[in-house]
Amino acid sequence: MSQTITIDPVTRLEGHGKITIQLNGQGEVEDAHFHVTQVRGFERFSEGRPFYEMPSLMARICGICPVSHLIASAKACEAIMSVQIPHTAAQLRRMLNLAQMVQSHALSFFYLASPDLLLGMESDAKLRNIIGVAAAKPELGRAGVGLRRFGQSIIELLGKKRIHPGWVVPGGVTEPLEPAKRDAILAMIPEAYANIGMALGAYKQIADTFRAEIEVFANFPSNYMSLIGEDESIEFTDGALRLIDPAGSTIEDGMTATRFTEVIGEAVEPYSYTKFAYYKPIGYPQGSYRVGPLARLNIVKRMGTSRAEKELAEFKQIAAGPVASSFHYHHARLVEMLYGVEKIEEILNDPRILDTHVRATAGVNRLEGAGQAEAPRGTLHHHYKVDENGKITWANLVIATGQNNKAMNEGVLQAAKHYIKDGKFTDGILNRVEAVVRTFDPCLSCSTHAFGQMPLKIVLLSAEGEILDHAIRS
Amino acid sequence: MQSVPDVQVNEAIPVSSEIFEPRLPIFTNANPVGCLILACGNTLRSDDGVGPFLAEWAAERFRENADVRVVATQQWTPDLAERIAEADSVLFVDSSLESIPGRVSLIPVAAEAGNEGVATHHLDAPELLSLTRELYGSRSAHAMMLTVSTGSTELGEKFSERVEAALPRAQGVLEKTVLQFLKN
Repeated sequence: MSQTITIDPVTRLEGHGKITIQLNGQGEVEDAHFHVTQVRGFERFSEGRPFYEMPSLMARICGICPVSHLIASAKACEAIMSVQIPHTAAQLRRMLNLAQMVQSHALSFFYLASPDLLLGMESDAKLRNIIGVAAAKPELGRAGVGLRRFGQSIIELLGKKRIHPGWVVPGGVTEPLEPAKRDAILAMIPEAYANIGMALGAYKQIADTFRAEIEVFANFPSNYMSLIGEDESIEFTDGALRLIDPAGSTIEDGMTATRFTEVIGEAVEPYSYTKFAYYKPIGYPQGSYRVGPLARLNIVKRMGTSRAEKELAEFKQIAAGPVASSFHYHHARLVEMLYGVEKIEEILNDPRILDTHVRATAGVNRLEGAGQAEAPRGTLHHHYKVDENGKITWANLVIATGQNNKAMNEGVLQAAKHYIKDGKFTDGILNRVEAVVRTFDPCLSCSTHAFGQMPLKIVLLSAEGEILDHAIRS
Repeated sequence: MQSVPDVQVNEAIPVSSEIFEPRLPIFTNANPVGCLILACGNTLRSDDGVGPFLAEWAAERFRENADVRVVATQQWTPDLAERIAEADSVLFVDSSLESIPGRVSLIPVAAEAGNEGVATHHLDAPELLSLTRELYGSRSAHAMMLTVSTGSTELGEKFSERVEAALPRAQGVLEKTVLQFLKN
């Protein structure tokens, strides 16, 4: 008789998800899925709103990465306006996006993942949390709080609010940077270096103890996509997208936001409200790809800052080609945090950073526009259509978590098949299956912004678990 | 007008509910204050907004007193451990779903590590104190929780009648507690 194991909710994620693992009569894993069970409606209720409201409206999708939504949305609006924003505005946005990346990665690494990494996958579930980490490794806990404060303080200094700042607008930013704020941020840099240095050192000491997990945590060949700069360095705010294959060869390069809409499709599966992005010329599911820190470090040739450059070189020693195991997302996150701190320091020393010309203005010059940026979790794409009065008539958002969705599901299946034998499982085994999802740091509230096009599957089970009836709305 | 319940103060337990012994001398205590008022709640969910409302009132009441810091958030996150560690005393302010609507309650809070369900996006007051102690060996001497029991947490920016009527009482308890903290 078959049996279903349900992990609900999956803990230490941004949002609420569920995992089901289907066993056959022999107790072997037959199938497994990661379900995103929330549903929201941002694309639909933005219809009819003036396009210039979109950045602040769309930022409400997420409390962790609102800045990336602000930026991708503003860029889509600027495509509608046909304007290029001033250099200083672009630099200030870049700094804001990096500050968000640092605080978000700090949350993922220190608050969500470190209980597994520092206390162990098999550690007491009652202690496997942030308080347990604080008791065991207080210096690392303080480093995490410090890096969160670093990123959030910059967002607050620039945007006046830690969450949902309204400073980024179509055409640039609303206010220039004041010298006192620049100096305040520069004063925080040394502590941030110390904290990230400590975290990198600690991770490298323990990474080897997770060799078994590295082997089965979504460890398979895949395509990867991320923004990349003209000099092939890492890029979070501008640049163009590159898609590479499992061997590291470029499939598509210089992909603008307009091109993205032509070549990236979104499939739906009956078990999740999150869509599954794929590269249309290859098709679904073979054209699925991974995004986020692992993809970015697999794609770039250089970081562009001295300390992170050395860390990238070390990271690329892990494999001859692209690093395949999603366990290494944790390592990649730490390298990116170091880059973020360095780049922010560099931007603050840009002689034009205090310029007061930080906004371009224009009306509706095109009826369609798309914009893209790198959110902490991966590529984020906003695409809008407007009428002649600038009212939104259609919107579509492609979110990082949707682009990682196929890999997350395959990763859950890979780990479940490896660990669950003869229908037997322990808390430690189920925690490892959850931990596969945590490596991606998915943001489920971001990924379930759509409404009205998603399939819905309803299954009626008897008390014994037998399926009595089911219905699918496609 | 409905009658408002009296303030419920647990007098059996001394105000100095816990004295944290510094275990980790690393923390520099960059911005020390005598009293931290830490409120939480959602101002769009009617009575759930009582915490931020009282925080705003306290910020105005103690505007001239640099030894009082007021922080209001939608939920209490681990990041707030740093702020707690900087304070000699902490007054948590929140709404409560327990008890009859409009009841004002003041009780001591002690550090408690929580359990399997400890979340990472929000912690309760005992968990926050526990985290603060583990991370910073906090020197906070007093910790109390002031709550106002809710009548409604439906969408809306107005308080229910009973909570509205309880506000002066809650403000009085808040003021008295903070002044007592500062005296110790």
